[in-house]
Amino acid sequence: MTGRNARPLRYRINYPQYIKGLVMSSTFDQVATIIAETCDIPRDTITPESHAIDDLGIDSLDFLDIAFAIDKAFGIKLPLEKWTQEVNDGKATTEQYFVLKNLCARIDELVAAKTASA
Amino acid sequence: MDLEYFKLIDRIVDLNVAERTITVEAQVPQTNTIFEGHFPGYPIMPGVLLIEAMAQSSGWLLIALTKFERMPFLAAVKEAKMRSFVNPGDLLKIDVSVVHEGSGYAITEAKVRVKGELRCNATITFGVVPFPHPDLRSHMDAMAKRIGFPLQALGND
Repeated sequence: MTGRNARPLRYRINYPQYIKGLVMSSTFDQVATIIAETCDIPRDTITPESHAIDDLGIDSLDFLDIAFAIDKAFGIKLPLEKWTQEVNDGKATTEQYFVLKNLCARIDELVAAKTASA
Repeated sequence: MDLEYFKLIDRIVDLNVAERTITVEAQVPQTNTIFEGHFPGYPIMPGVLLIEAMAQSSGWLLIALTKFERMPFLAAVKEAKMRSFVNPGDLLKIDVSVVHEGSGYAITEAKVRVKGELRCNATITFGVVPFPHPDLRSHMDAMAKRIGFPLQALGND
């Protein structure tokens, strides 16, 4: 530690942003770990920009395993049927739900909604 | 069991919608052509048929939970363990519980016992979808009657 230099640096941190960043990365890290373990995909190839279907090649059956692990880990129920319906009806794109940063945002919303209604 | 028609279970002996459990009985026939091949001189119930029996038992539980609105289709079998042989004439007691009900899928855990002894078990994943054809729905209604599906159990959860 260089005590003299550490103090000014600490004060420069934008705390709200810092905390938000932590929460986001925590959801992503959990999801990426789940995907890596469930589908045997190298963890370092999974990024927030990865599309679960188009980039990672996850099929619908493997995605059920992922959905189960996510449901369990976050205490939610991913509305897969609703999403599929929306995509089939042309009301949404697969990117909105299956690009991992977007999937993580949906998970955060579901967790927040659950916490709010509890 | 009526193996020729792939009817692996005989009757529902208990259905608890609130607890999400079912208990089913199935009588393995004393004689069947299957045992002539599996195996000559040493007849045992094929493991794949025991998995099917666990899947059918699970299926009735999931049909009950969706109040006959949806049909479960086998999607994945995990941790299936054939622990010891099931023989001609054995009476199977199959207990199933729901591990998870997701959106459009469900996971169950099934255990097959003979005289109280665990013979096999599996964790099974199903796609659970609206009945794809009215004939299938009618068939399941008729099957429900045949295996003693307790319709009254659906109204009280």
